[in-house]
Amino acid sequence: MIEGLVLILLFQGLGEAIGHFLLPLVPGPVIGLVLLLAFLTWSGRVHEGVELVSSAFMRYLGLLFVPAAVGVVMFLPHLQRQAVAIAVALLVSVIATIAVSALIAKALTRKKSDAG
Amino acid sequence: MRADLPNIHEIWVYLSGSPLLALILTLTAYQIGVMIYERSHLNPLANPVLIAVTLISIAISALDMPYAKYFEGAQFVHFLLGTATVSLAVPIYKGLPSLRGRWLPLSAALLGGGVTSIVTAVVIARLLGADETIVGAMYAKSLTAPIGMGIAERIGVSPTLTAVFTVTTGILGAALGRYVLDALRIREWWQRGFAIGIAAHGIGTSRAFSVNPEAGAYAGLAMGLHGVIGAIAIPWAIALLR
Repeated sequence: MIEGLVLILLFQGLGEAIGHFLLPLVPGPVIGLVLLLAFLTWSGRVHEGVELVSSAFMRYLGLLFVPAAVGVVMFLPHLQRQAVAIAVALLVSVIATIAVSALIAKALTRKKSDAG
Repeated sequence: MRADLPNIHEIWVYLSGSPLLALILTLTAYQIGVMIYERSHLNPLANPVLIAVTLISIAISALDMPYAKYFEGAQFVHFLLGTATVSLAVPIYKGLPSLRGRWLPLSAALLGGGVTSIVTAVVIARLLGADETIVGAMYAKSLTAPIGMGIAERIGVSPTLTAVFTVTTGILGAALGRYVLDALRIREWWQRGFAIGIAAHGIGTSRAFSVNPEAGAYAGLAMGLHGVIGAIAIPWAIALLR
């Protein structure tokens, strides 16, 4: 497990460094993600340690953004004043996103099966 | 009794000065959230993050603990966001074979869904008079929170509001997704899952997994790909528009 964590941290460090010096617009960890993905594709398998660390993180992903989300206490008056705009925007947007994504996937699949 | 009071006070001062209190608070609140979520048979409305944030907010205001002080302790949990983001490579890698033969409908859906999620949220929030702090936090709200918050830092908007809108979006998407998909007569599990993953990231994915494993796998893949593509495209698009 430790070697898996070390590998992931190394990719994170590499990503952060590349992000800082070469690609300032892309979050460093995402560059690390892409590099790790390339490494996994190249090696053709997922190392057991990496697997363990990754599944632990995926299981408790929600916990990790709790500290930042608690910062909402500082925005409460701000959010209350604009509650209607926020609620409508989030609600309509998520429904539209699900609908558009699903309809595109369905439309392009049907075309393919009609042809074949 | 009176002799004990300074002691309790001293213990309290000592504890609240160390990161322990914030860490215990964070982990306990999250654990309570997970327990309630599991008791509710994974009802998206009983979201563990929502429960944890509510409990901690109540606790720190009752303790008169400023948010900055709380965060000082909880930052040890927060720090792991970057590491968790890197490890998202594993589920994406495992999901890649699912793209085979469905590459075109999936990438088109991802692109269309991603653009829809930003344009609808930003335009509606602006039309209804939301200020730029709020509008800015709408950009990354359909991406998985660790990536969305990284983007928020890059584009100079609030990571906190981004996280809050992200969780809200996830809960709404997980709760309403099936009705939207049923109304549109989307029957293939992979299409349903993928659409939920694009719109409602991890919360939608966990909902999709509880309904059907194929839907869950595609939702997870959509969440990962949307995160990576969004992290590259959103900051560039905003830099170009500004």
